[in-house]
Amino acid sequence: MAATEGLRALGAAARAELEQFNRSRVLVGLVFVEAITFIVLVSLFGLTGSRAPTALIDLDGGPLARSFVQHLEAAHDSFSLRPMTAARAKKELANGSVVASITIPHDFDTAITHGRTVLLPVTLDNLNADMSEDIRGALPSAIVGFGQEHHWPGIRLAASQRDLIGHDTGYIPYLVVSALALTAFVVAGILGAVAITREFEARTLTQWRLAPVHPGWLVAGKLLAATLVAAVAVGAAVLLVTVGYGVEPVHPAAALGVLAVCVPMFACVGACAGALLRRTLPVAGLFFGLTLPFYIDSGAVEPLRFDGDKIWTLGHTSPVYQAIGLIEWAFHGLRVTPESVAQNFAALGAWALASVVVGTTVLRTRVARR
Amino acid sequence: MRGAWAVARLDLAVWRRSPWAVLAAIVPALGMFVLVKVLTLSVTVQPVALVIDDPGPEAQVLSRLIEDDIESYQLFVTNAKHAQQLLDRQRVGAVIVIPKGFDDAVARGHAVVDYTLNNIDIDFSDDIRRSIDRSVAEFDAPQLGASVEGRAGGHGLVVPNPYRIDIAEHDLRKTDVPFETYQVLPVLLLLVLSTGMLGAALLGSRDVERGTIVFLRQTPLRRSAFVAGRLLGALLAAGSIVVPSVAYLTYKRVVHPPHGHWPPFLAVLLATAVFAAALGVLLGAALRRSTTVALAGVTLASYLFFLGGGFTTIAFLPSWLQALSRLVPTRYGIDGMRQSLFYPDLIGVPGDLIALVGFALVALAASAVLLGRSVR
Repeated sequence: MAATEGLRALGAAARAELEQFNRSRVLVGLVFVEAITFIVLVSLFGLTGSRAPTALIDLDGGPLARSFVQHLEAAHDSFSLRPMTAARAKKELANGSVVASITIPHDFDTAITHGRTVLLPVTLDNLNADMSEDIRGALPSAIVGFGQEHHWPGIRLAASQRDLIGHDTGYIPYLVVSALALTAFVVAGILGAVAITREFEARTLTQWRLAPVHPGWLVAGKLLAATLVAAVAVGAAVLLVTVGYGVEPVHPAAALGVLAVCVPMFACVGACAGALLRRTLPVAGLFFGLTLPFYIDSGAVEPLRFDGDKIWTLGHTSPVYQAIGLIEWAFHGLRVTPESVAQNFAALGAWALASVVVGTTVLRTRVARR
Repeated sequence: MRGAWAVARLDLAVWRRSPWAVLAAIVPALGMFVLVKVLTLSVTVQPVALVIDDPGPEAQVLSRLIEDDIESYQLFVTNAKHAQQLLDRQRVGAVIVIPKGFDDAVARGHAVVDYTLNNIDIDFSDDIRRSIDRSVAEFDAPQLGASVEGRAGGHGLVVPNPYRIDIAEHDLRKTDVPFETYQVLPVLLLLVLSTGMLGAALLGSRDVERGTIVFLRQTPLRRSAFVAGRLLGALLAAGSIVVPSVAYLTYKRVVHPPHGHWPPFLAVLLATAVFAAALGVLLGAALRRSTTVALAGVTLASYLFFLGGGFTTIAFLPSWLQALSRLVPTRYGIDGMRQSLFYPDLIGVPGDLIALVGFALVALAASAVLLGRSVR
């Protein structure tokens, strides 16, 4: 009987919450924008991870020079070569349109054919150490490839590479998939939080005491509505990733399953935050602010284990860590955490349970106090 | 003037008593700062295991080259079994093996160094591939990069190597700016943006939500004085957070402009703050509810931040995005800040300032019109 009453209250609370969302269309619209925003912004970040725009001044143009240019282009996604004159290169370096210029001197072919070493002037806008090191590291790659192709005498060593995975995953496809977990966190978190803070701000929380059912039913109803709306927003983000970016999940059912777990779970985390904050105002800032460190410290850029013990341990303080582990597996078939898929699922479930318990406890305390 | 000052003081007092609004404004920038800190640790060295199965001198030379490259590798020198375990547990991203018989193979001119790579994404994998190629190059060409370019058409010093190509690197700057310092500046800009914009927007929405707009309509204040006061109040509110932050970063020498670059640097900051405050006034007047204002403000700030080159390098973006970024005011703020702090000259800064001031004036005019209407 109590359960039937509870379920009825849950349904009523969900309908009331959906009605509230319907009245707050600007808010819901902004949440949808936020869902797309995160995907777009991380792909902008991904664009800077490779293929440095580099001016190429080929003063020779001979077959060996062309061969070297091919090796520059093949140097592990390092350069986006833009052939131009020296004067243009100087101008583009000055205004930041290119980050380096490589000049192939006019006697390149002749000198190399005669066994002489050619000096390659490289001008580098060494604005930050990370980018500069990538370019400095890429030039020897091209030089090694060039030397080995032509079998110059004196080259005694070559590297033989064996990849663990049959294909390389592009950086942007990797990033946008992890961003889906973060999108779920931001969207479901904000909506879950707003569903609760609204009760505090409108002072309707006191009315919960009059409800003939346990407040947990009302919270569940509100979160159900928040989850439904968040699921639609996350669905739009998934559509963008699959259709817009062309990333098809290797395990589609698992991908949907992971998001189906993540969205209500993050709504619970949001509700918990909402119950603690009691105000809507800081919610957006808090979730967006948290998302950025979570983004990096959850293995969104590369497997977190590679970043050392401290960061890896710290990553476990966020549920996004397991979510990214699962979603990268579901979309790309990649194992990005040392933990197994089953362990990640179990941990995510534990996070969901803990959030529900904490959120409900906080709300029960607040309701009782009032 | 007195009226404007009174509004500004009132707004500042309200801001100081609104800890949640302050929190909402600083948390995104704080989050970005933490992100930069964590990213600094993750973008540098890559964890790699090295297995040396040959005790010969050539193998030692190669292992020394790899061990000495501390800018590329976080190295675990170990045996094959343990290296495999480290790879399985993702403790390392690659295992480099200098195989048995390496020295003999070097003597024959056909040595191979094997490596197994966890090629999880190309960014991570390519970093390791580049590093290993560099080590391979240094083995046969230890003087790679030691040649000196001749000046004014004169002959330089070319150190021969078997690859027949050497690099003469000419850096545009004296030192590479550390990644952390490079990225902290946009974070500062994000702080200016979010405090200026959210401060002004939330003050505006608060007037509507609390009904105090009614009182403002009845005060004997000229509209221009109210608009000026609101903007000044938002600027002071942003300043109350940004000024101590800049002072702290200066103390830590993160903000350390060359001689004579302080005025342009501060001018860029001020112009960005004015633009942000004006945009905030617009948001507050248009959206009117603090919840939507906060969400819209954070979203807008993040677009302005990323599209302006806050966490990206504009030159890396596709040409259509580069063109789009010309319409993003923060691009000029970030460019101006970087130029005035990291470059020895101020090329482009006047242009950046003109663009920023132009955007700020447009935003000011629009906000004055909209805010003026709301208190009419």
